[in-house]
Amino acid sequence: MSSRLVPVTIAILALAASCPAQESSAQESATLSFVQKNCVACHSSSVSSGGVDFTSAKQPDTFVQNREVWERALAKLKAGEMPPPGVPKPPAADTAAVTKWLDAEFTRQDAAIRADTGRVAARRLNKAEYNNTIRDLLGVNIEPADGFPQDQAAYGFDNVSDALNLSSVLLEKYADAAERSVRTAIFGPDKLKSAATHYSFPVRLNDTRGKAPKLPDLHGYDTTGLSSRHAAHVMHRFPVEGTYSFRIVANGHRPDRSMPVHIGFWIDGKLTQQFEIDATDLEGQNREVRAQVTAGEHLLSVSYLNEYSGLPPSYGGPDPSTRPPTPTLSSPHGKLTPEDIEILRKLGTTVKTDSIETRIDNRFESIDVGGPFEQVTGPSLASQKFVYTCGHTDGKHNASCPRIIVSNFAQRAFRRPLAAKEADPYLSLYTLARKHGDSFDEGIAAALEGVLVSPNFLYRIERDQPVDAKATTVPVSDYELASRLSYFLWSSMPDAELLRAASEHKLREPAVLEAQVHRMLSDDKAQALVDNFAGQWLQFRNVDVVRPDNGKFPDFDDSLRHSMRRETELFIGSIVKNDSSVLDILSANYTFLDERLARYYGIPGVTGPEFRRVDMSATQRGGGVLAQAGILTISSYSTRTSPVLRGKWILENLLNAPPPPPPPSVPALDDTKVGESASLRQQMEAHRASAVCASCHSKMDPLGFGLENLNAIGQWRDMDGKFPVDASGSLPGGRKFTGPKELKALMLQDRDAFVAGLTEKMMIYALGRGLERFDRPTLKTIESEVAARDYRFSALVMGIVTSLPFEMKRPQDTKALSASASIDHNPEGNSK
Amino acid sequence: MNFVTGKHLSRRAMLRGAGVAVALPFLDAMHPAFAGRVKTVHRVAVVYVPNGIIMNQWTPAETGKDYAFTRILKPLEPFRDDVTIITGLANNAASKAQGGGHAKASGSFLSSVPPKYTAGADVHAGTTFDQVAAKTWASETRVASLQLGCEDARMVGNCDTGSSCAYTNSLSWKDPDSPLAVDVNPRSVFERLFGNVDPSLSPEVRARRALYRRNMLDLTRDSAKKLELDLGPADRRKMDEYLTSVHEVEQRMTAVERDTRPPSIDKPAGIPFVFTEYVKLMFDLQAIAFQSDLTRVSTMMIGREGSVRTYPEIDVPDPHHPLTHHRGHPDFIEKVTKINCLHAQLFARFVEKLKSMPEGDGTVLDHSALLYGAALSDGNAHSNVNLPLILAGQLGGADRIGGKHIKLEQSTPVANLFVSMLDGAGIPVEHFGDSTGPLDLRG
Repeated sequence: MSSRLVPVTIAILALAASCPAQESSAQESATLSFVQKNCVACHSSSVSSGGVDFTSAKQPDTFVQNREVWERALAKLKAGEMPPPGVPKPPAADTAAVTKWLDAEFTRQDAAIRADTGRVAARRLNKAEYNNTIRDLLGVNIEPADGFPQDQAAYGFDNVSDALNLSSVLLEKYADAAERSVRTAIFGPDKLKSAATHYSFPVRLNDTRGKAPKLPDLHGYDTTGLSSRHAAHVMHRFPVEGTYSFRIVANGHRPDRSMPVHIGFWIDGKLTQQFEIDATDLEGQNREVRAQVTAGEHLLSVSYLNEYSGLPPSYGGPDPSTRPPTPTLSSPHGKLTPEDIEILRKLGTTVKTDSIETRIDNRFESIDVGGPFEQVTGPSLASQKFVYTCGHTDGKHNASCPRIIVSNFAQRAFRRPLAAKEADPYLSLYTLARKHGDSFDEGIAAALEGVLVSPNFLYRIERDQPVDAKATTVPVSDYELASRLSYFLWSSMPDAELLRAASEHKLREPAVLEAQVHRMLSDDKAQALVDNFAGQWLQFRNVDVVRPDNGKFPDFDDSLRHSMRRETELFIGSIVKNDSSVLDILSANYTFLDERLARYYGIPGVTGPEFRRVDMSATQRGGGVLAQAGILTISSYSTRTSPVLRGKWILENLLNAPPPPPPPSVPALDDTKVGESASLRQQMEAHRASAVCASCHSKMDPLGFGLENLNAIGQWRDMDGKFPVDASGSLPGGRKFTGPKELKALMLQDRDAFVAGLTEKMMIYALGRGLERFDRPTLKTIESEVAARDYRFSALVMGIVTSLPFEMKRPQDTKALSASASIDHNPEGNSK
Repeated sequence: MNFVTGKHLSRRAMLRGAGVAVALPFLDAMHPAFAGRVKTVHRVAVVYVPNGIIMNQWTPAETGKDYAFTRILKPLEPFRDDVTIITGLANNAASKAQGGGHAKASGSFLSSVPPKYTAGADVHAGTTFDQVAAKTWASETRVASLQLGCEDARMVGNCDTGSSCAYTNSLSWKDPDSPLAVDVNPRSVFERLFGNVDPSLSPEVRARRALYRRNMLDLTRDSAKKLELDLGPADRRKMDEYLTSVHEVEQRMTAVERDTRPPSIDKPAGIPFVFTEYVKLMFDLQAIAFQSDLTRVSTMMIGREGSVRTYPEIDVPDPHHPLTHHRGHPDFIEKVTKINCLHAQLFARFVEKLKSMPEGDGTVLDHSALLYGAALSDGNAHSNVNLPLILAGQLGGADRIGGKHIKLEQSTPVANLFVSMLDGAGIPVEHFGDSTGPLDLRG
């Protein structure tokens, strides 16, 4: 918390001199006397609560000079947080007049801000952008950037220009990636040696040993078996497209007389192979299946299909077994002796001398992934078309082909037309290779690799044109605008249509621009907005790395993780594709579920592993991201929920009001007592006891309490250990709610704060820099446009794309630059 | 183990004949040949554990020799004579800084410069002492330094409220504005050390490819230089960074071309699933890098600062960081102690490995200074004084250290230790960070 001194001037004459409007100065002095009467008692130089002092030093323009403090004061007044409870409140009319005047004053100030676009330094391609660009440039999907070191993030995003540094380690990886990508495009993927990976599955069972088996619901269960405890899931990275073998080893038991079990092998939730095993003792039973798999990470699952079918009739399950009972072990002479049993065994009869098998604990032991076999080799048709732009995909090239190929490639890679002779150096690599006896293709490979190591490819560089010294903003070139657009919406290079619009100088025409934006948002490549923007803004990328405690949450596995992530991805993706209202993110009446997740949420009637849109209006949890298990899990600890963590998450990401850091030496919660001697909520009452703690926690905790019915892995609960969940709370200012749906309804009332936060975040992502004071007018304009257009997603995107900082930039006087390189032409401190 | 084989001798002689000085493992038989230019290579390494330590299970009760090993340090008992326990050092820079307790600690630990409080891109701290060593030896080794990590930094969002993730994800800073990202993938570390060349290619093809790459780097260097003329200051900084990187890559290529020994370890496939196997592999890579003099400087973060790793294999299913805010609760304290013990055990394996590699008149351990510990002592209070630190190996001076628990005056700057480590390694610095002089660890 900053402790800034807020001066107050008392001389009204001085005010009149600085503010021409007499009425405005009267309101300003009314505000100042309001502050004097109601605030100074706790916020003066002798007592500066929260580090705020409204009395010291006499300074005109206090509302400009100390804008941040006055904004905080305004926010507190509006939210009803100040004066704090227990202190007599001033008349509502007075408070309203003050907030109205402060709002107007800030708007007046913002309107007077000199238009400034800020300036972004050359943006290095980050990992996602590199992968996508290679895919679109060469038609290869090898995702070479996955081995790169982590990009440094700033302001919550990994595409902020100033944070994207280049080290020699990374440059070398770029060079290796260029080599691999180009060679894959020209010669096909590397021929790999087959390797095997072994995955053992944890034994979570043995729950029936020595006890009568607890029978599950034999009729209404998930017949795919994917959500059963008996299934097993693992993520595996496949290095290249090809055929792979999967040796599946089962274990466990089925009751005597059961029909054979049916095992399903799934890749990414799709049934790929199935087979049958006829045995009641499954230990050691294994089968090998093969499947064609594309490169990349895939989820492998094995499950028992229709696992409660085929049981002996006595279980009362569906499709009971038709097999006759096993003969009992007796003879006309009485029970069999051990010697008899020995003889029978030697003759090959299986004799079970303990009780007849009744267990249903079929499970999986392990899976071995082997391969690749029959690997896809040879370049793809798509890659060949991208490379051999001279038209000769049959290999019959003539002397002009190298120049054509290299120039076209460089042009697409640099995302702009080439300067005269700019292709020559890259062509010289071709010539060098030929001189050393390498083939045409090897020569082309060398040249194209060179292009991909050039700073013109690795960085999005915006060139300066000589300008009129008086200009404060200049338009970015049409090609540069095309790149800004495509990296914003697709995290990739502009496509042919965008580049054509740029070359014809049509891209800036409003109708053309709008049409392009809509086209881009409907394109599959807009998935990048979901993965990269939303994945970082809402932090659901973390779903991949959280590790809920296996002891407390034994049902959490990789398949559930996969489904959770899909739900949020599809939800945000649907808002983008269908141009829905952004307010749906806060509170919608739908979501996307597969059977696994539907059972998890307790929603009937959803069968099968495909995701589909489901109406959530009748459910207790409702819709929107705060009802989604992935979001609820990443905002919890591995062993329990944390209302503080969730409250903080909401404040930071949805309400644009991040809380300041906690003071040091704060003692932590006693985990073991939670649910036992005191509910989590009761334990947290300590936050309200101290005024220092309450200032932040009175905002955070209630938001988290509202979600307490949803446990640390997003499941509904009515009890927390021994205590019923109390999901009621009140926001500062007094509005009350109980449960998640009412909480979300209240948040919808504060939609302006949500839209402001979302706009800011998306602006940072689109521009690649942090935001400054001079961006405020832009943000305000976009926010009102979004509200005016029903909060549609495309309205937000269009608002950003047509804004000043997106279409224009600060000019740089190139002549003065060359003369004296040490002058900093950005006195406001660059774009930081 | 006798290094002297006909092959080694002739190649070395050839290199001498070509007038090129290359640092190779110190070969007994070569000592007389290099008379007058004898230089014992000395390594500097830091192995870092996050979130502080349970101090009353770490600090031995007795000082001097013959102290009893505490519960956490027990795994190092077999190496008593190679280990020096240091009590009393403080990271005063962190106490002066603003921001999250974890960011301040790791962000200043090896530089003694308070890191700038920011969540933006304008992170600013200080050059860390390991990079001083790295820069000095950069031209002598294939890789200037290694920065390793054992925790995926994929977590997004704030790492330590209000403070940039850069402070908790990195330990080494090349210069005040450049934190060095850690490599968490053993395969990638292997490639950094041994290159990414396909071993199935013939040497002739490999040489041609290297030639093309050099040419590529030359011409891209030219285009960067040309670009610089037309760009604003911020863009020019980016191009400078690019040019520096090109230069370093070319240096590395030269170093690789001169030394064609095959790697003594198989290329790892990826990150091992079992945590202890993973850490052991990362230590093995460092050991081999030291033994073959591919690098002499490395820093490894067993967890990033503020780590939330869970350790189910030792019955600790809770994430590390929240546990360290134990408020005196014995159950939490016990769990954190178990984590501290596991980490010390893994470090002991590293010490053992280096001790098993003979070199000159001793072992690689004798020619290495390994600093192990944390930038926080009491993780509950984010305390920056009385840091838990031990030195394994030797400082490199004439006097041998080891076998003692040295208790220094409270709040002795930790930078004093860095001065001693650099001095011993043959890089005499008068001063580093807020140092007041070197340490006397002979006890």
